[in-house]
Amino acid sequence: MVDILPLSSYPSYIDLLPSIQTCNITNLPENYFLKYYLYHALTWPQLSFVAVVRPKNGYSKSTTPNGAGSAAEQYPKVVGYVLAKMEEEPTDGVAHGHITSISVMRTHRRLGIAERLMRMSQRAMAECHRAQYVSLHVRVSNTAALHLYRDTLGFQVESVESKYYADGEDAYAMRMDLSNMFIDWAEIERKDRERAASDEKEADEGDEVGEVGKKESSAEKESEKMVRVKVGRGLGVGDLVEKNEAQTAQ
Amino acid sequence: MPQPLNSKDASLFRQVVRHYENKQHKKGIKTAEQILKKNPNHGDTLAMKALIMSNMGQQEEAFVLAKEALKNDMKSHICWHVYGLLYRAEKNYEEAIKAYRFALRIEPESQPIQRDLALLQMQMRDYQGYIQSRKTMLQARPGFRQNWTALAIAHHLSGDLEEAEKVLTTYEETLKIPPPTSDMEHSEAVLYKNTVMAEAGKVEQALEHLEKVGHRISDVLAVMEMKADYLLRLDRKADAEAAYTELLDRNPENSLYYDALIRAKGIASDDHKTQKAIYDSWVEKNPRGDAPRRIPLDFLEGDDFKQAADVYLQRMLKKGVPSLFANIKSLYSNPSKRDTVQELVEGYVATRSAEGQSDADNAEFLSSSYYFLAQHYNYSLSRDLAKAMANVDKAIELSPKAVEYQLTKARIWKHYGNTEKAAEEMEKARQLDEKDRHINSKAAKYQLRNNDNDKGLDNMSKFTRNETVGGALGDLHEMQCVWFLTEDGEAYLRQKKLGLALKRFHAVYNIFDTWQEDQFDFHSFSLRKGMIRAYVDMVRWEDRLREHPFYTRMAVSAIKSYLLLHDQPDLAHGPLPNGSTDDDNERKKAVKKAKKEQQRLEKLEAEKREARKAASTKNVDGEVKKEDPDPLGNKLVQTQDPLKDATKFLTPLLELSPQSIEAQSLGFEVYLRRGKHALALKCLTAIHAIDASHPTLHVQTLRFRKALDSLSEPLAPQVAEVVNAEFETLLPKGQNLEEWNDSFLSTHKESVPHQQAGLTCRQLLKPDTKPQCEQDLASTLDSKDVTIETALAGLELLSEWGSNQAAKTAYVQKASSKWPEATLFRLD
Repeated sequence: MVDILPLSSYPSYIDLLPSIQTCNITNLPENYFLKYYLYHALTWPQLSFVAVVRPKNGYSKSTTPNGAGSAAEQYPKVVGYVLAKMEEEPTDGVAHGHITSISVMRTHRRLGIAERLMRMSQRAMAECHRAQYVSLHVRVSNTAALHLYRDTLGFQVESVESKYYADGEDAYAMRMDLSNMFIDWAEIERKDRERAASDEKEADEGDEVGEVGKKESSAEKESEKMVRVKVGRGLGVGDLVEKNEAQTAQ
Repeated sequence: MPQPLNSKDASLFRQVVRHYENKQHKKGIKTAEQILKKNPNHGDTLAMKALIMSNMGQQEEAFVLAKEALKNDMKSHICWHVYGLLYRAEKNYEEAIKAYRFALRIEPESQPIQRDLALLQMQMRDYQGYIQSRKTMLQARPGFRQNWTALAIAHHLSGDLEEAEKVLTTYEETLKIPPPTSDMEHSEAVLYKNTVMAEAGKVEQALEHLEKVGHRISDVLAVMEMKADYLLRLDRKADAEAAYTELLDRNPENSLYYDALIRAKGIASDDHKTQKAIYDSWVEKNPRGDAPRRIPLDFLEGDDFKQAADVYLQRMLKKGVPSLFANIKSLYSNPSKRDTVQELVEGYVATRSAEGQSDADNAEFLSSSYYFLAQHYNYSLSRDLAKAMANVDKAIELSPKAVEYQLTKARIWKHYGNTEKAAEEMEKARQLDEKDRHINSKAAKYQLRNNDNDKGLDNMSKFTRNETVGGALGDLHEMQCVWFLTEDGEAYLRQKKLGLALKRFHAVYNIFDTWQEDQFDFHSFSLRKGMIRAYVDMVRWEDRLREHPFYTRMAVSAIKSYLLLHDQPDLAHGPLPNGSTDDDNERKKAVKKAKKEQQRLEKLEAEKREARKAASTKNVDGEVKKEDPDPLGNKLVQTQDPLKDATKFLTPLLELSPQSIEAQSLGFEVYLRRGKHALALKCLTAIHAIDASHPTLHVQTLRFRKALDSLSEPLAPQVAEVVNAEFETLLPKGQNLEEWNDSFLSTHKESVPHQQAGLTCRQLLKPDTKPQCEQDLASTLDSKDVTIETALAGLELLSEWGSNQAAKTAYVQKASSKWPEATLFRLD
């Protein structure tokens, strides 16, 4: 049985990176140094996921913080992964995510692992980084992957990039809009402000926060549909504002 | 004292620094030389020139120059800083730290020097030093959040969680207004503080904190996971249930969530009915998912199991999911479940094959079922290779193009012990889908298992960038393809080509060094990016990097290679015909022949290299990569001290995988040969604590006794006292050894590895029983439990005992009649 786990968030499975690298070089011709995987895991820790075979006696990680447990419990078999990032310098100026690499071992296909990996990554891109869309490349001959991206997940072909791959094959450049999964940050900030105001804070400080919030809200109008609002408890703004004397200690 | 320059030269010097910063190396050197013309002994200029040369890869010249610079100006912080940077480039971190410290003593206010020092302290895990550096840096620039976070990390990693939290809180309190939700640095720092609290055991406070700030944090999933985790730990069942339900809504393919949900609901572990109902409700929510269908098979028993398994198996077989068996096999540790699955699938085959294959769906179901049974009968817990082969052939007949079916056929041959056929069949599988790297990798692996290194590499080269320096093999090194390098090395080890074997193992060792070094840049990068939790996790992982099974496996093989080399030094010249010839002349002849072969290979390799060089100069790629001066590993294998080299691999192994019996027993072998009796005994004691009746421990205990009894010079008195006292608990001095061994043999009658160990000891204790022991060893092959691997280990024992050819032939004949398909039982 296969579990889909976050690579480097909570809990962290970052020690599976060598196994992920092996999964990649076993399955695909496009390979990377470990440092490139590290770069992904440490720059966008929320975006990458790994599929592993659940060890017979569970994971040692879930019982002990670091270490202890058999090798199988500590280093379960990796059968798939998605390595994802935010485009560092988007040419179109729009913040968007990109799938650097995804693969599932031949022995574990048709269990829906790739789909699940993609969905997890896409959601994190939208929630954490407000990625407008996610892009990827796929070999024009890879019908199975194409089916997953287009028919199952809802990607669209943007263009064909000729000779994208080292062996001369063309790639479809595909993308999918993610803005419907955005979290309404403006709304969160508005509620926090309300709460702060009702806590009888000084008016000028409330205004300042307001400006920051406004910028956001104008940008967010169009994505009102399907926004998720997380209702939290009081922010406790008092904790953050009261002790101004700390600043003089700087 | 900094040596003064006139104003024109001083401005030139500033230019040198600028050129260096902009990586304009040639201009920098030129300008430096301009200054040096007039001021030939100017320390700072000499140092800058050295630094630039070092960046251009001229390490040796740079060091000479940097020393000259220091000689001219011992009191210049620039000279010392550069000296440190050069050591840093050489990865001599301790010397680098010393040099930085000198530089800082001269120029205590220098930010760059302080920063370089701090980075190295982190890399070296000098946490106390790092805390000091970070405090200084914070005092200098308290306006930067990074500096606060960095100090908190320093405290955290040094184990002072309270102080870490305090530092983070102090910074938070300076914030007048809450940063916008889009401020990820803030979001991560807040979450980081929360993990520090939880780690300190303050789960309640952590939860409270999370509930206050969690809604503003961008890593939504992390907040949900943490909250759920805390709630469950605090036994707040109802809230935990809600939290895990929310997590499952997001990701229904994570068994940990279901485990937690069941716990939160307070369902008894033997209340299978209620549990099953919960999983069924998740199936309804996610009809396409696997986890809620599959997990109940783990706990259901008897008829409930049979019913659920029937539904599960039929659904998957209908869909033709190739991973069905891989997803099922973990159930087989329960024999009754194993038998139920077998019965069910055999049943499908019986009814469906009677129905015929006229309808396509039925044909697919049937071939999937044959494929399932082939894997079933090939699996160690349900093995019947003849049935496996019959089923796979039927599956292939129905779907001759299915890569998986052909792949399984190769695996069956592997379990028959026939590496030749296995490699051949896997190659056929590869040819069914030449564009798929996975099957290509498998084919290469099977060729390596068949000791065919060339073919293996040739297959790999179909997917590598062969224009890399060193060709396909060079690319596999560059891409850190650990599995291939390890398999390749192990194939060479089996052929006793120790030079190449060691070459590969050292390559993997170096990859682990690179991975350790890789973290360096993140000490500064992650602070800038603010992704602190992932960074801290990375640092902790790096501390136990070599605990990874990839390291363990490679190190074990490397140590075995060195032990072999130590015991048979002639192998330094290449593989020799086996059978320890007592005839000295024969031996010399064999060595001479091996040496000749070695020289021939070296010449061949040199020619290849020349050819590549000629070819590569044509396509100017810009980057010049050095060819390996010792591609065959001849330098490695001609080491003066194989055991010392082995220790390099052994130390991390014992430190990070102390629970591995194989690691400990290899530790014993190395230390015993090095005459380090206390350390050897420590390994024995460790094995004893893990498994007091382990067969290897039994043999090694006796060998240790014999070693103590025949010391060429007595142990140092203190060592002797400790060793004797400690060893007394493993094997009391007064113990009659033959009785001790006989009792071991009779206690473990049913286990072949134990019988092998007992017989090894018997012929050690009474050499005249050797012929009988050899016969008894052959008789172990009659045991119904003996595996091919164990039988092969028995054959190796005969070599260890120094048995004659007749004894080996008898053993091999017997093994071959038991496993007629196997190619493994061969005498060289």
